[in-house]
Amino acid sequence: MAQVIVVTSGKGGVGKTTTSAAVATGLAQRGKKTVVIDFDVGLRNLDLIMGVERRVVFDIVNVIQGEARLNQALIRDKRVDTLAILPASQTRDKDALTREGVSTIIEELSADFDYILCDSPAGIEKGALLALYFADQAIVVTNPEVSSVRDSDRILGVLQSKSKRAEEKKDKVKEHLLVTRYDPNRVERGEMLKLEDVREILAIPLLGVIPENESVLKASNTGTPVIMDTESVAGQAYKDAVGRFLGEDLPHRFLEPAKKPGLFQRLFGGRAA
Amino acid sequence: MSSQTLPEAFRLRAGNFNLLVLRLLDPRPEAVLPALGDQFRRAPGFLRFAPIVIGLADLEAAPEEVDFRGLVEGLHKLEIVPIGTSGGSQAMKQAAQHAGLPPLRAVGAEAEPAPPPEAIPVPPAAAATEAAPRPDFSGSGRAAMLVAEPVRSGQRIYAQGADLIVTATVNAGAEIIADGNIHVYGALRGRAVAGAADDATARIFALNFDPELVAIAGFYAVREGLGDAPIGKPTQVRLEGEEMRFAPLG
Ligand SMILES: Nc1ncnc2c1ncn2[C@@H]1O[C@H](COP(=O)(O)OP(=O)(O)OP(=O)(O)O)[C@@H](O)[C@H]1O
Ligand SMILES: [Mg+2]
Repeated sequence: MAQVIVVTSGKGGVGKTTTSAAVATGLAQRGKKTVVIDFDVGLRNLDLIMGVERRVVFDIVNVIQGEARLNQALIRDKRVDTLAILPASQTRDKDALTREGVSTIIEELSADFDYILCDSPAGIEKGALLALYFADQAIVVTNPEVSSVRDSDRILGVLQSKSKRAEEKKDKVKEHLLVTRYDPNRVERGEMLKLEDVREILAIPLLGVIPENESVLKASNTGTPVIMDTESVAGQAYKDAVGRFLGEDLPHRFLEPAKKPGLFQRLFGGRAA
Repeated sequence: MSSQTLPEAFRLRAGNFNLLVLRLLDPRPEAVLPALGDQFRRAPGFLRFAPIVIGLADLEAAPEEVDFRGLVEGLHKLEIVPIGTSGGSQAMKQAAQHAGLPPLRAVGAEAEPAPPPEAIPVPPAAAATEAAPRPDFSGSGRAAMLVAEPVRSGQRIYAQGADLIVTATVNAGAEIIADGNIHVYGALRGRAVAGAADDATARIFALNFDPELVAIAGFYAVREGLGDAPIGKPTQVRLEGEEMRFAPLG
């Protein structure tokens, strides 16, 4: 049986899709059969970040409405052969996603995959509720700022009351905290919440901290999940997070401000990658 | 009761209740509702769907000037449930009754010329505590509800007829309510409402006192009103008369 993992946050624009792409790719690179589903119907972002937007024929709505078979809609990644993407529809409206339809899809995928990642839309409305409903585990993506932490707290409450596991009174959804866009310099200046503060408020195990990093934007512009950019700090941080997800005990990195630039760099304005 | 072959379907008993009275001073719903809505939005959630009595004694208006139906409708929208009236002239009561608000008789008070509810001065130290009969919450024997998980933003926990013990944090945007005392062995960052069944002896204890709002028996203080409370410290909150007292614990 596959594990269903929702990537969720409540607040928008915190890095859910970036994380879904990176973690799905990372798991697949580790040999796990992984499929990532875009639940953000109407926006459709995941396929861009995964670099498969030109290969989309059918989407999840087509499958639910019986216009295509699941296998026709699944896009196999060309870089990692254990990875597949189920894109969202750009044209349909959100109500096209039904719980029964999603249930059937997840059941069918369960037979073939180890991990099913669900990239949730923002908010705590219907779409986000549907994305988390079938979850066995949740990666809660949080930026180190008050509103994001508050929304993550909210979504954690929802997970423990409105998920299928909660409704059926099964073991609770396993929670992982992923703090993203962490900028140690801004934390030091008091412009962002400290990691300890975020952890204290949310009180769930920390999967990783992804630093604020230009490489994320570059990666998404070229349709390469940032975890494939092994030189970048964000890519390395995601790789560590995947390792921890699979049970490895790895120290957290990139929590401190990068070393002060040397005199030479300061004089000539060098910029770190 | 004598033994019967048919099972009992109901029993009728007299019961006394403590109810909030909304004493109307202005006959126009459009004057009353917005101000009330404002106050209720800031007030603790336990007032939601609370039954309320409309007090007519202080209303200086002709019965036909009062839009009772509009008032009832507006109150329902605010999640307040008016169940009847108290006081007021015969004509006023009748007008209210036409809008589905029957006259209620206050316990111990005369049915007719109803004295204004606040005619009896209440000594500050005993306010609200010595009210009509209510469930016995005194001292030991009260049940407690235990919550060992963080109470998160958007969650609401109500310990009915019991104390509430939370061994984790109560986060901003969360609301915990107890008819008895509240103990938080973590940070209290949300709202805490103790003595919700009008028990003014109820107290709130928190290891890390950092709340958005605290209330006891309907008296409440929002964050801005906490004054010199020991924020961030172990704290006890109790009611002294109508004053909320914040004292360091231990
Ligand atoms: N670690 C990071 N460093 C720098 N920029 C980042 C980082 N993570 C995400 N971003 C940027 O933040 C923006 C939002 O990211 P993303 O689309 O992954 O968020 P989302 O939570 O999926 O948003 P939505 O709620 O709209 O679905 C993007 O422009 C992305 O490039
Ligand atoms: Mg997204």
